Amino acid sequence: MSTLTRALATAGVIVAGLVTVAIIAGLDSTAFTIAVLAAGLLVGELLELRPLERATVPLSYAVVLVLLRAASPVEFIAAIAAAELAASVLRPAPGLVVRGELFVQRMVAAALALGVYELVLMGDGSGGKALVLTALALAGIAELAVDETVFSVRSRRIDLSWHGRSAQLALVTSGMLMAVGYDGLEGRGGMGLWGPLFFSVPLLAAWYSFERLAAIRRTYTQTLRALSIVPELGGLVREGHAERVAALALSMGRDLGLEPRDLEYLEAASLLHHIGHVCLDDPSVLGRPVESSEVAQASAEMLRQAEFLAPAAELLSPDPHPFGGAERSWTSVSGQVLRVASAYDELSEGGQARLENGAIEALYSGPGYVYDPRVLASLERVLERRPVPAGVR
Amino acid sequence: MSLRVPDRLTVFCLAVGLATLGVVVALALTTPFPPLVPLVVFGALIVFAESRGVLLTPTLETTAGFMLMMASIVVFYDSNALLGPVIVALCGGINPAHIRERAWRKTIFNCGNYALAAFATALVYWSMPAWMLSSPGWLVLVAVLAGLAFFVVVVTLLSAVITLSSDDRFGQVFRELVIAHIQVFPFAVLGVFLGRLYLDIGAVIVPLFVAPILVAQETFASYLALKRSHDDTVRILIGALEAKDQYTAGHAERVAMFARYIGLELGLSAKRLERLRLAALMHDVGKLVVPNHLLNKPGKLTEAEFARVRLHENVSLEILTRIDFLAPVAPSALSEFTRFTPVADEKGQPIEPHIVAVADAFDAMTSTRSYRKALAQSTAFKELRENAGKQFHPRVVDALIVAIERRHEQYGAGHEVDVHDFAVEPPTVGLGSAGLGDLLDDSDAETPGVSAP
Repeated sequence: MSTLTRALATAGVIVAGLVTVAIIAGLDSTAFTIAVLAAGLLVGELLELRPLERATVPLSYAVVLVLLRAASPVEFIAAIAAAELAASVLRPAPGLVVRGELFVQRMVAAALALGVYELVLMGDGSGGKALVLTALALAGIAELAVDETVFSVRSRRIDLSWHGRSAQLALVTSGMLMAVGYDGLEGRGGMGLWGPLFFSVPLLAAWYSFERLAAIRRTYTQTLRALSIVPELGGLVREGHAERVAALALSMGRDLGLEPRDLEYLEAASLLHHIGHVCLDDPSVLGRPVESSEVAQASAEMLRQAEFLAPAAELLSPDPHPFGGAERSWTSVSGQVLRVASAYDELSEGGQARLENGAIEALYSGPGYVYDPRVLASLERVLERRPVPAGVR
Repeated sequence: MSLRVPDRLTVFCLAVGLATLGVVVALALTTPFPPLVPLVVFGALIVFAESRGVLLTPTLETTAGFMLMMASIVVFYDSNALLGPVIVALCGGINPAHIRERAWRKTIFNCGNYALAAFATALVYWSMPAWMLSSPGWLVLVAVLAGLAFFVVVVTLLSAVITLSSDDRFGQVFRELVIAHIQVFPFAVLGVFLGRLYLDIGAVIVPLFVAPILVAQETFASYLALKRSHDDTVRILIGALEAKDQYTAGHAERVAMFARYIGLELGLSAKRLERLRLAALMHDVGKLVVPNHLLNKPGKLTEAEFARVRLHENVSLEILTRIDFLAPVAPSALSEFTRFTPVADEKGQPIEPHIVAVADAFDAMTSTRSYRKALAQSTAFKELRENAGKQFHPRVVDALIVAIERRHEQYGAGHEVDVHDFAVEPPTVGLGSAGLGDLLDDSDAETPGVSAP
């Protein structure tokens, strides 16, 4: 199904559903209100906030908070189940299993939100200002907690810090605002459906910004990767060298506990550590052998011209404190990681299993350069965890 | 009497400031002072919101502040419908960065501009009948009308100040600003509804509203920053390219510029223009793998050398294909593929590769290369026209010529930007294909018998 067909189908389902409810129950009925909110859930289900480092969250989580105020528990569950079922059919997901999993995940999140909300208010929706706002906030956080748990289990990583939570902040505050806009607090300030409609605009603005950010992020990563193959296409390094070194260096960097920001620089530097080769006087394979330090220097020189990549360029500069230095900054750790990963790829001739052990030994004895044993240990750990490529050994 | 530009500007800004002062004093003498709590809440928030917008495009910058101003109109409606919003808007003109730079003229103008616009907006809102303000549906209409007052005042004053400080004509500036500020209307409605909620629920509502907007602004700022890094990265490559081949200094940037001229002429969308720009910048990126001595060889190339140089197109294609955003226009890197064929069905084929081909050829002809000196612009136009429909896409050729003639710009012999030191003086005749030397005649080839791929 193309994007356009899907959008048209969604619009069709929404209009047909709303018209039916309006004819049967009338425009002023609770049923119509709930139908409109269910339609909002469906739309919100298809638009997701995609922060760079956190789980994606659907905008529908904000509508759920409105529904908590607008519907009784039974109506709440029924409306969400209906909207989520429609979303399972209409969303662009591969396969029944993924659709089923997402449906279950959303239902659990909604049920948890309902439970938290009712628990805080003890079944009395007309509570005081502070109490209602607390209940809504906790309900929103409960929904996000479900997604975050699933994300942590899948990626085997738990990050409880505040870092990168702006999408979640926008979602919960918008949801609370939309809910308060719907029926006010302490019986004052309700605007009915107009409230959630207008107060979804800040959330939609945030969604748009996140979409643009994700798109440029994708293009940027792909540009780095595309540029990383230039030396290969010129026949200057073994095929896939940059890609393999970047993957290995990233695994080692994670193993050594580098910060996300540092990992980003490490990846960029790994991908482009040979790029300078093309600028050396004659990058022909027939020419005189080019010193690797010369290549690194030329690459660093190029990267330094880009503001964002300047810190990555530092990783390619000669290590000011070779092995044995007391305090190690992230640059020297990352620089070591990159050097070890690159040297390993050279020695094992592209990571071939039969050469692995010999390659590591050669690194330990270090001809001409002594590598940090902690980084080498990390290399061994990472290699052990790797699945053995089929057909080798 | 004629004043110099800075003087006219100063006089205008002072006039705006005086008018504002007049309004404030008149209101302060005739009406009671507005309540302090909302004044402080909205005044502080609007300064905060406006000072955060430094990174953003001017259009996005004002939205948060504008909404707060609209909200304050509703909040002060029952106490002091006019003076309250005017004071809040005055605060909106205060930008700590401007004050640090001692940009007094700017600060006075911004404060006055906002305050006068807020006065007009509040006047419209205040003059509406009470029954319209009590129903959400009618309130939307009121918000749009009030927003219109703000829109007219701000756009007029801004156009005036821009016209005074530049050579642009008032009408044109006005039209551009109308388009740039059209988004005030939805935000006017939002602001009014925010004000209603503030009255009913209290200041607790403000953080719920401001948080997602700030997240949106910050995210948009990261987007712009990452876009700059992407451009930087592309530029590194171009820098490397130009370091290898002294004759192509500025070539990629100029091809991107001509491609943009053509794209604008053909009415491409913003997204396609951006794609075109990157494709034009990167169309020669594969030259990075061509040995330097071939790129800079004076005179003609042997067939073998020509084939070696030609290989770079496949490398460029490979690189562009790997970037999803550019993949649809990746053939921009191939001079053979983009050869226009009247027979082939052009429907569904992106026109971008043809644009890059024409822009590339035009720049190649009008700049000096190792194998030939720059040609005159008229010669280049003539060559393009003669090959339109054969080698080049005719619509694209027309678009480039129209765009350059409309801008009264001159390229080619006598108008070159870069002057080279020649080891061997290049010949003054010969057209040459874009970015590549002419092929040697077989008769004087140094290495006979080598076949091209």
